[in-house]
Parts: sequence; structure tokens; C-alpha cells
Amino acid sequence: MATVFSHHPPEPLEEAEPSVLDSADPLGIRAGRAMRIDLLALLKVDTQIGTIWLGTWGILSTLSFLAGLLVFYIGALDQAGGSFWVMVRYFGNIQLAPPDGLSLAHSLRDGGYWQIVTGFWAFSVLFWAGRLWERLARHKWRPFLLWAWLSAIFLTSVIWVWHPLLVGSWSDAPALGLNADLQWAQNFSVLWGNLYYNPFHQLAIFFLFGSTMLWGMHGATILATSSEGSHHEDAEIKNMTSGSQKAALFWRWTMGFNAFPKSIHDWLWWFAVGVVLSSGIGILATGTMTNNWYAWGVDHGTVLQYGPMTRSSINQHPRPMPPMTGPSGYMPAQGKI
Amino acid sequence: MRLSMSQSMETFERDYKKPGNTIFQALLGGVDPFDVWLGPFYVGFFGIVSITAIVLGVLVILISVGQYGDWDLWRANIPSPLRQYGLGPAPFLHGGAWQLVVVLATVSFVAWGLREVDICRKLEMGFHIPAMFSLAISAWVVLQILRPLAMGCWCEGFDLSFTGHLTWVSNTGFRYMNFYDNPFHAYAVLGFFLTAMVLAMHGSAILGTYNTDPDPNVEMRREDSFWRDYVGYSIGEYGIHRLGFYLAVYTLIMSDLCIFTSGTLVKDWVQFWHPF
Repeated sequence: MATVFSHHPPEPLEEAEPSVLDSADPLGIRAGRAMRIDLLALLKVDTQIGTIWLGTWGILSTLSFLAGLLVFYIGALDQAGGSFWVMVRYFGNIQLAPPDGLSLAHSLRDGGYWQIVTGFWAFSVLFWAGRLWERLARHKWRPFLLWAWLSAIFLTSVIWVWHPLLVGSWSDAPALGLNADLQWAQNFSVLWGNLYYNPFHQLAIFFLFGSTMLWGMHGATILATSSEGSHHEDAEIKNMTSGSQKAALFWRWTMGFNAFPKSIHDWLWWFAVGVVLSSGIGILATGTMTNNWYAWGVDHGTVLQYGPMTRSSINQHPRPMPPMTGPSGYMPAQGKI
Repeated sequence: MRLSMSQSMETFERDYKKPGNTIFQALLGGVDPFDVWLGPFYVGFFGIVSITAIVLGVLVILISVGQYGDWDLWRANIPSPLRQYGLGPAPFLHGGAWQLVVVLATVSFVAWGLREVDICRKLEMGFHIPAMFSLAISAWVVLQILRPLAMGCWCEGFDLSFTGHLTWVSNTGFRYMNFYDNPFHAYAVLGFFLTAMVLAMHGSAILGTYNTDPDPNVEMRREDSFWRDYVGYSIGEYGIHRLGFYLAVYTLIMSDLCIFTSGTLVKDWVQFWHPF
């Protein structure tokens, strides 16, 4: 607390330098006022809040999102019989479902709300990509963040648009709502024969767990060596100092291999983007490459086989085994269920 | 520039290779007999413990696979014990091999973590990495030891193989009605997706802005001013690593709670939301 309420002179607030690309936008406004929230120092993160760039793309994206949100709440209120308190009480169960087939919905309640909200939000994320592209150009960043955002749009568009188009019904897309999301995940998996056996789903989980592992490794490595400046990553890429040297040597000595200040961020970026690319391909393959992933797994040897047909089963052991339970002496699937 | 970094690796590594200051010496005094490097690897007392457990575990796996008589490692499976053996020892091919491998793997993981502590002591850096590794091991310990203990049967652990662990995940996912209704599962999934998103943002920020121009007058790109324009806040080059670290901590804790509560405290996650 001492650092928070100390009497050090406040650090000067930072402002963006003027740029031609800023003044070219009629809605190019830096909104709000830059200020310091001293409590953030407790979390050891930057304390400056603001300003934020509006810009034409940002305004379009925000308006599109808010319009979708408004229609969502109108639909939710409709579903709650017009009662605000019923809507609040059962908000988790509110769901705006997509229509059957690929045509426009016949009415708002039969999928019309879903189509309108989904449409607005699709435009919102695309306008946001425009904002991202424009701001990245303004600050002269290489467009890695734009590609990552487009990869995320690839996954969501596969779930909400391309997969329903391929299998012929909007109803394969998730309904909008809290429990509806969870139900969709379960139902989609069961409908297509158990998504656990979709190899792209498996690869996506590998990247997802890998992303968490890499954040654990990279975050821990930098925090452990930041007293020697390893968190100044731009400068460390240019010229490694003792903090980054220790970070590199830790992994070299631990597992015989290490990344460097630049290359670790290649690993991070590709693992994170791998999640959405692999997921999207997996859902594109669902209903097209196969309509039953469990059957696909049986065909391709990724489902555990028990019983006399597989040599790796316990029953095939050359020595006499204790008697098994189950019909005709076959071992049931280990009685695990 | 990048080339010269890997060349300088060999030169600066020498400065850091100092003998002594290991846990073994701190506890027992004298000379740590394994305080050496082997190629790029640091060995250390706990390295010997870890590699011994790994070699023994792999031997148990190979013997077990050989006993089943199928050398296709894609299909090979080390099954967890049959339900009839409960928490007792199982015959080798009915889960005894699994019990041995789980014990040896756990020993190896813990020793690996202690070896990381030794390396941190040698490099005089913080202990964040072994702390995070311990949390990662906790997932293994909860899945294979604590939850089977709480459920009263080693058969609750997952089979050790490609196909076996997939089948366990599928069975366990459907066994408690709807695993997506498990709130800790939802919080953990949220954490996994958030780590991936923040990881992409951080990776993009660094890859998008670094420069390797040897000329010191070439201006460095500013990261903070982009993030303030883009979302109104920049967490900072130190803060982003705090955020990523604690997101990973949060995700792992939620994952542990997610699997430990299933079957022990809650048998039906749909009913869980409708207690009366």
C-alpha cells in the first residue's frame, strides 16, 4: 500500500503523437481523458486509463454491436412474456434459436431474432477488423494482430455461417443465450457422433492446453527474471542482457532446448492461432468429411477397442487370466461407466 | 542479428555455469555428486532421480505392451485397474502396470520440479517456473491419485495410451449427464480461451513491433499508444506477463476443481442446478 499512497510526484500521462492518419478520419477522435487509477498499482500493472480512439470503423462496429444487443434484449423480453423481471430471473434460460432451413425466418420468434442479431454482430466483428487494420497501419505495426483477429472470425463464421450452409440448416448453429451455448456444445457433439473423436478437435485441444502451458512458461520465465529487465522485450530482441540470458539458459538446462526473446513470441502466436484454425477446420469437416466422428474413430483406429477382436485386449494375453465378468467371458469396457 | 544471438549463447553460458548452491547441498552439506552439465542439460541430484523414474516407467510400459503381445504403439494401452481391485494392488496386467507407472511418473514429475528449483538457484532468478510447474503437476495428481482415492477405486484413473485416455475423457464427459453444466468446467474453458486470446495479443504486439536494426537511432515502435487507441488501456510490458501468469494459474485451479468435484460431490451436473 505504501507505494500506492506515497507522495511521489505522479508520472506524466502519455499521449499519442499526432499523425496524418489520425486527421484523415472525420470521426478520428481520442475520446475520454487520460487519467491514473492508482489502485491498479496494487496489481503491478500500468495505471494509465485512456484515451481511446473512436474512428469511423470503431463507431460502425460499436453501433452494429449495440443494435444487435438491442434486438437480443427485445427478443429476450418477448420470450419472457413481456415481463422484465421474468427475463432477469430466467436470463440463463433465455434462448433465441436459429430457424430450420436456409431461408429467411418466417417470423421473429421462429428464428428472425436470431438472424437479425447474428447479422448485426457479424458486421460488428468485421467493422472491428477494419478498425484493427486502420490502427495497426497508423502505429506502423506488422499486421500479426489483424491475422489473429481474422483467424478468430474464421472460427466463429464457420460455426455460425459456413457449417450451417454446408449441412443445409441454420438450426445447426448455436442459439443465443447462456445455457443455450452449453446445450449447443453438448448437442452438437452428440449429433455428429461424439466430437471427442474429431482429430481436428483433438488438435485444437492440444493447442488450447498448449496456449495455457505456454502462458504459464513464458509468464513465469519473464516474472522470474524481470528484476534484470527481461520484460523489456523489444530491447531484449535487439540486444539480450542478463535477464534474457538467464531466461534462455533456464530452459536450455532444463529441457535441452530454449527459445529467444523473439522466437518465443512465434511459438505463442502460432499456438494461439492454431486453436481457432484447427477448430474451424474440424467443424468444416463435420457433416462433410463424416457425419459420425465415433464411427470415423473406429475406422481409423483412434477408439480404444476391447474384446477378442483386438490383439491388444487383455483377453488375448498368452497366459491364463483370472476369469472375467460379462457375457461369454468377454471383458466389458472395464466396467467404467 | 538473430544469428549472432545464437552464437553468443555459447559465450555467455560459460559465465553462468557455477558449481554449488543446490538443494542437495543445502540439506546435506558436502559436495553434490551430480552437480554437472551433460551437453545442454543440467543433471543434478534430482535430474538423476527424475531420469531413473522415467527409465523405469518406460520399462514397465514396454514390458506391459510386450505381455499384451501387440507392438503397435498406436493401439497399445496400459489400462487402469479393474473395478474389483478397489484401492488395493492389482495384478500386473490388470492395472498393476498402471499403478507402477503412475507412481514412477509422479516421482519423476516432482523430481523434475525440484531440479527446476536447483536451476533457479544456480541462475539466481525467481521461483515462478517451478511454482507454475507444480500447479501443472497438480492436474495429474488430482486426475490419477486424489480423485481415485476420493472415489474409492484406482479404476477411476485414465488409461495410459492415446486411445485409452481419449475414451476416458469421452466416458467421463458423458457420465455426469452434461459436463458443460459443470460450472468449474465452464470457468476452466473460459480460462483456456482467455489465455489463448491474450497469448495471441501479446505475441502479435511483440512480433508486430520489434526491430533488429543495429542502428541505435532507429526509433523503437511504441506499444502502449496502440493499445490505448485500440481498447483504451495498455497493461504494460511487465503487466502483460503478470496477466498471462495469473490467467494460467486460474485456469489450472479451475480444471482441478472441475474434475475433482465430478463423481465425488456431484453425480449429475444437470440436477446440480435444480436441487429442490
